[in-house]
Amino acid sequence: MKNKKYLYILAVGLIVLTPFSCKKGFLNQTDSSNPTAQALFNKPADGIALVNAIYDTYQNADLLKKSLWYYANFQTHDFFNWGNDRFYNTYAIPSTFGGIQVFWQRAYIGIARANSAIEILKTMKVKGVLNEALANRLTGEVYFLRGMTYYYLASSFGGVPLELSNGANDGLKPRNSQTEVFTQVEADLKLAAELLPWKEEYGASDLGRATKGAALGYLGASQMWLKKYAEALVNFNQLNGKYSLMPRFIDIHEYNKENNAESIFEVQFIIAGTQSWGGGNEVAWIGSFGMPEEVSNFGYDYGNKILYDGFQAGDLRKEASIIGPGDVHPSPAIIAKGGIKSYPLVIAGFASTDAAVKAKYTGVDGKIINTCGTVARPWVGTDNAIPRSGYYSTKMWRDPTLDGNSGVSNIFGAQNQILLRYGEILLSKAECQARTGDNAGALATLKVLRDRAFGGTAPVVFMSEGKVITDPLQMVYHDYRHELTGEYSTFYNLRRAGVATSFVKEVYNITIPRGRELYPIPQYEIGLNPNLVPNDGY
Amino acid sequence: MMRKLTIRHFVGLITLSLFLLISLSASAQTRQISGNVTSVDGPLPGATVMIKGTTTGVVTDPKGSFKLAVPANGTLVISILGYDSQELVIGAANTYEVKLAANVSALNEVVVVGYGTTKRKDLTGSVSSVTAEQVAKVPVTALDQALQGRSSGVQVTNNDGAPGSGVTVLIRGVGSLGSNEPLYVVDGYPITGGLNNINPNDIASMDILKDASATAIYGVRASNGVVIITTKKGRRDGVEVALDAYTSVQSEPKKYKVLNAEQWATLANKTPGFDRLPEWANPSALQNVNWQDEVYRSGVRQNYNLAVRGGGEKVQSSFSAGYFDQKGVVTGSYFKRINLGLNIDYDATKWLKSSSTAKYSRQNANNPFGTGALATLSELIPTIGGNKLTNKAKDENGNYGFYDPVNTYTRGWNNPLYTIESQDSKNLTNYFLGTTSLEATLFEGLKIKTNLGINTTDYSGYYFMPSDTRSLDQYGVASPNILNIYSQSANNTFEWLWENTVSYSKTFGEHAVDFVGGISQQRNEFRQVGGNGNALISDAIRDLSQVKNLVAFGNQQTFTLASQFARLNYKFMDRYLITATVRRDGSSKFFKGNQYGVFPSGSVAWRAKEESFLKDVNFLSDLKLRASYGEVGNQAGIRPFQYLARYSSGGPATSPINVGYPFGGAYQDGLAYVNLDNQRLTWETSRQTDIGVDAAFLNGDLSLTVDYYRKDSKDFLLQIPTASQSGVTNSAQNAGSIRNQGFEFALNYKHTENDFTYGVGLNVTTVKNKLLSITQNTSFIGNLVNLTTPANGWLQFSRTGIGQAVGEFYGYKSVGIFQTQAEIDALNAKAPRGNYQGNSSQKTQPGDRKFRDVTGDGQITADDRTSLGSPIPKFYGGVNLDLAYKGFDFNAFFYGSYGNKIFNYQARNLESFQAPSFVGIQNVSEVYYKNSWSPTNPSNRYARVNYNDDVSANNVASSIYVEDGSYLRLRNVTLGYTLPSNVAKKLTMSRVRMYLAAQNLFTITKYSGLDPEIGQPTGTDPNNNNASSNNATASGVDVGTYPSSRFFTLGLNVTF
Repeated sequence: MKNKKYLYILAVGLIVLTPFSCKKGFLNQTDSSNPTAQALFNKPADGIALVNAIYDTYQNADLLKKSLWYYANFQTHDFFNWGNDRFYNTYAIPSTFGGIQVFWQRAYIGIARANSAIEILKTMKVKGVLNEALANRLTGEVYFLRGMTYYYLASSFGGVPLELSNGANDGLKPRNSQTEVFTQVEADLKLAAELLPWKEEYGASDLGRATKGAALGYLGASQMWLKKYAEALVNFNQLNGKYSLMPRFIDIHEYNKENNAESIFEVQFIIAGTQSWGGGNEVAWIGSFGMPEEVSNFGYDYGNKILYDGFQAGDLRKEASIIGPGDVHPSPAIIAKGGIKSYPLVIAGFASTDAAVKAKYTGVDGKIINTCGTVARPWVGTDNAIPRSGYYSTKMWRDPTLDGNSGVSNIFGAQNQILLRYGEILLSKAECQARTGDNAGALATLKVLRDRAFGGTAPVVFMSEGKVITDPLQMVYHDYRHELTGEYSTFYNLRRAGVATSFVKEVYNITIPRGRELYPIPQYEIGLNPNLVPNDGY
Repeated sequence: MMRKLTIRHFVGLITLSLFLLISLSASAQTRQISGNVTSVDGPLPGATVMIKGTTTGVVTDPKGSFKLAVPANGTLVISILGYDSQELVIGAANTYEVKLAANVSALNEVVVVGYGTTKRKDLTGSVSSVTAEQVAKVPVTALDQALQGRSSGVQVTNNDGAPGSGVTVLIRGVGSLGSNEPLYVVDGYPITGGLNNINPNDIASMDILKDASATAIYGVRASNGVVIITTKKGRRDGVEVALDAYTSVQSEPKKYKVLNAEQWATLANKTPGFDRLPEWANPSALQNVNWQDEVYRSGVRQNYNLAVRGGGEKVQSSFSAGYFDQKGVVTGSYFKRINLGLNIDYDATKWLKSSSTAKYSRQNANNPFGTGALATLSELIPTIGGNKLTNKAKDENGNYGFYDPVNTYTRGWNNPLYTIESQDSKNLTNYFLGTTSLEATLFEGLKIKTNLGINTTDYSGYYFMPSDTRSLDQYGVASPNILNIYSQSANNTFEWLWENTVSYSKTFGEHAVDFVGGISQQRNEFRQVGGNGNALISDAIRDLSQVKNLVAFGNQQTFTLASQFARLNYKFMDRYLITATVRRDGSSKFFKGNQYGVFPSGSVAWRAKEESFLKDVNFLSDLKLRASYGEVGNQAGIRPFQYLARYSSGGPATSPINVGYPFGGAYQDGLAYVNLDNQRLTWETSRQTDIGVDAAFLNGDLSLTVDYYRKDSKDFLLQIPTASQSGVTNSAQNAGSIRNQGFEFALNYKHTENDFTYGVGLNVTTVKNKLLSITQNTSFIGNLVNLTTPANGWLQFSRTGIGQAVGEFYGYKSVGIFQTQAEIDALNAKAPRGNYQGNSSQKTQPGDRKFRDVTGDGQITADDRTSLGSPIPKFYGGVNLDLAYKGFDFNAFFYGSYGNKIFNYQARNLESFQAPSFVGIQNVSEVYYKNSWSPTNPSNRYARVNYNDDVSANNVASSIYVEDGSYLRLRNVTLGYTLPSNVAKKLTMSRVRMYLAAQNLFTITKYSGLDPEIGQPTGTDPNNNNASSNNATASGVDVGTYPSSRFFTLGLNVTF
């Protein structure tokens, strides 16, 4: 009995006194949900994935559409917003506007991804995980993407803070000047141009990656911002023979002609998962929100009749850019689908027992409508308080699988977005030629584009807005608009040329308030980084 | 020495003045009587026997006997500390037997502190206790609700009135910008969440450790206070079978007065600018739908609890089974719980004993609107003509109405009755908490103990919403085809705890030592899996393999704690008390080198009553002074691994957050840098000073506890917004510091005279909360959580600047309504950009709200927003009244809060004809309808009606919606009757009590909304993928949540 008692005491005592299971690792847990640097970067795929994630920052509608596309087209007054973002119509963009906040955020997230990738790729190359060719290409892609991102930041906001290194970063740097940023862009893109292969050197499975051509294109553009027109010209000229104009203008933005011979850099989308709300970010609503409400139940963007009317007679770019009452949709893919009359809302509307609805969907021939409204009954939407103009972008309205918020509700589409194409390079080149005194060269370059625009041979007289234009630089400005409207360039190019305000005044008789050529620095970011100085005029 | 004399003088003066007040009359005719004073434990020496109204009296001898000369008529008052005093009318008899009942609420009450117990008189820290009787008084679903109003220093606010919904518990103020939840320790096991699985009927006591001295033994988890919950054990003498049952009826909640169909359509017809439905042209012909009536119902709550508690010298066991079933006042809402509990204490030998507890619960709950979305009911358009089959919410044939799916302004709304009644969902939780300990007494005073526990929670749930082709069938392709959706998820938490302690108590003459020391390890594993998708081939299928567009998730995570701790109590002469506590905690949430923290505290107490100069001061039954200081931590506000730089692939191509990209038309994975590494991350620290006084008067009938506290907390673990330039939008940081200080008062009076017992309890706490700092680059912090409801103009509604109280409301100062264009023109003329308010595209009109130009720059910009008041009360507290006469008992319990403000977001919604943030229109309040500004009705309070309030910005966060949130609520009133024991015995029962209770009978408040009790409404955390979250920076905002309504309860307590 006594022994047993001591046995108990011993047993319990041992348990208490022995620091049980105090294994060293008890507090050192591994994060099994989120890969850390220790678990990664030991195979080439990781390096590729790091770079892919930088491209991913562009798959964002707030960045692409609400920031870049709005800037390129709303700021010129060629297109308007019907929805909540109407303040563009009066250049009263609030510094709290979510779209530009997301743009700023995504841009810097992409830059941080690039900065971290630069270091990691270096290590992977040293360790032999990446061979030299792959390491160089990936590094080139990273510099391209960082450069391009700073390009759009500086083009939209003016000077922005330059963040160029990785590591614990408090995000409190002040803004650099616009010139400093473009100088950095130039340096990044020069490096990228050295490291990157030409488009044709990539395999088919890498279609869409940054190329030497893309780097040279943006390099030239950044040099134009720095007024280095001669150097820009040299870089643009390197693209000769590497890219060509699509023979027919309408084909540039055709859904089934993505990544075509004219495209230099385009943001890629594919169908992955649902094409409705809650879908992945591989699709975007960029297409369907600009389709008329009568077709999509949306109709958030609509065009300016002055843009429509300003094309020179015979210019095939007009209907490929903007259509209005009585116009048949010119896209071969939409025609193949059955045209406007094949849209579910149109069919339902024509079948409606409500006379007013039926009228809206009845063509001039009394049959189901196949035009974008009629002259008598333009498609101005159901909001009588703020009627749309009846004119809509045809560069955005191309994906024949989209029907907006109707039918099977295919809202989100996979149409790639061309950010830079050879047609724009030629226009930029013409500007450089004119600015370096080569007016003849400029006119010759312009003629190539104009010949295509008019389906063969352009009229000798250059007309825009019903006026004859003879100055080569003025021609370039007007063609920035007629060639590139509805894309991602027009207002950027006009501001780059220093004529944005005067051009808008000339064409629309609208004065852009002082300082409002630029976006406001997002208020949210100023709140987080008090070193950010707001733009003058905001 | 000088001081001591002064105190003596002072006490002497008080004593003298008392003598003067008391009548000194003494009767000449006296006789001698004798008696014995006893208690259940035997004779009571030292009891005072006084003749009432005189200063004549004696003290009982060591055998409890007394002799006293008494007048012919008189009353004896017999009292002694620790027992209820008794009065006795002097009759003809010459000997008297007096049996005193122990007064459990007095100083000998055992208080459970971490890793041990102590007597209240020996406490040096600040600890409040809530007894089983108090818990039983107000029927509650979860334990934390039972804390409301019961203890000073503890602020309990129901976040909403939904069955089983959350409660905000703040012990001594908002001590963190992250987590403010106290640590709950159940039968020695510190639990991680899941408090609402514990059966309130099983509770023996809840001890709330408030100051650092009391909490420091829990180290890194203690800074928000610790609540120690002890469940009922078996008894040593015989068997007790207890049956407790009640049924409550819950009345329908108060409703917002909104427009009926006719009024609404009239308003719609007067308001230009949007598309109308043709049928609205004839308002009187419309079918009215009162959504609040459609969805609200009366609720029912039932609770049954059966317990068998008993045992003998060796084994004591307690078994309980409980069933709780609440049908909420919102159609489709319920909370059901089954509890099983078993406690076994086994004294194996004189020196070895074990104690085991097991608690199981199964819970099934549903709350169709979630939290916050209930406000929709008052906003839905009161006419619903979209379904061509019916214009009712639901007709006799089971058809549900819907809103016109074609009209832009109505198609955004859904029939909530349809949603609730057609959805199929389940949220099941199985919970188990088991602990077992073995304690050996090696020799007198030295004990070693090992304590093992496991805690596991299994959740499984699903949600199904059938496909809906009704509008497609009737309107064709013009309206969307709604696919069925299905989601299913399950998660499991498994946690174990192993603690070993050594304790030693010894008294050496005048010295007493009590030591406990030990080590502890705790490991928590969490695993979850789930998925969702749509387009199942049939609405009868509940199978994730049958969905299209499957989005799946699954992950796991482990965190651990390793600790060492010790506490030493030293007592000299039973009056000088010192406690020193230290805990060293290691947590896996932090990076190597930052894992371990040491949390020390010390406290002293002086039981002044024991001093000779106070011993004879009869009016003062007890006096103790306490002081403590210590440091504790908080690590709850952060998820594990925030110190690591992480890369994420973000999910597959179909995921909205993937970071990959397609090349050549095929998706390739991405890998992105997603968060900053911050290896310096560490726990939050709070340092607290407490000075307290415990005093008792009138033989212990009256007790008073006063504490002053000052708690400085810092280094909050926050996922805070970070400038995007850093490459992340937010990062985990230690930031900020807050001071909370105030006083706590607890006053209790209880007296028994013959058959009549009455008592009053009052506790009041004052809080002054102040943000001392935030991060180096900002001087304020906004609301860390957004409102769940669409919040245009309300993204920022709180902002705490340095020196302000956490969560101060923030917005424009509203200064009435613009009455004339001239008034606007005058201001515009002076404005730098020609617009005082609004902008060039949105011109201000007469009838728009006018804001104050706080900055004085002639225009209204975001900078004109300013602090609009604090949601933190100046003081709060509870009042408890108890009366008992013979078999009857009566209890009334009030809870109140004073000086806090409420931001009435719901009022904003009811003054907006436009559905905020949407292209759509909605219902408004009757008050707004009748009083809104028009040229003929120049209101200075209600803005003009317009269909685009988002743009007019009349309803942005502004002072017009800030209201006084003070209230006093009769939380509970109970009337009970206990059958006389002889009657009960005839029924073979030892005790039978029936009671009627009413909760929330009335509330005194100036607040215009439905319910002034607003905690931290559940919102979305923008820094954590918009996960639902509560935060102190977002409290006191009325988003129209589930209001408290009245409960009427009929209950029965039977003991066999």
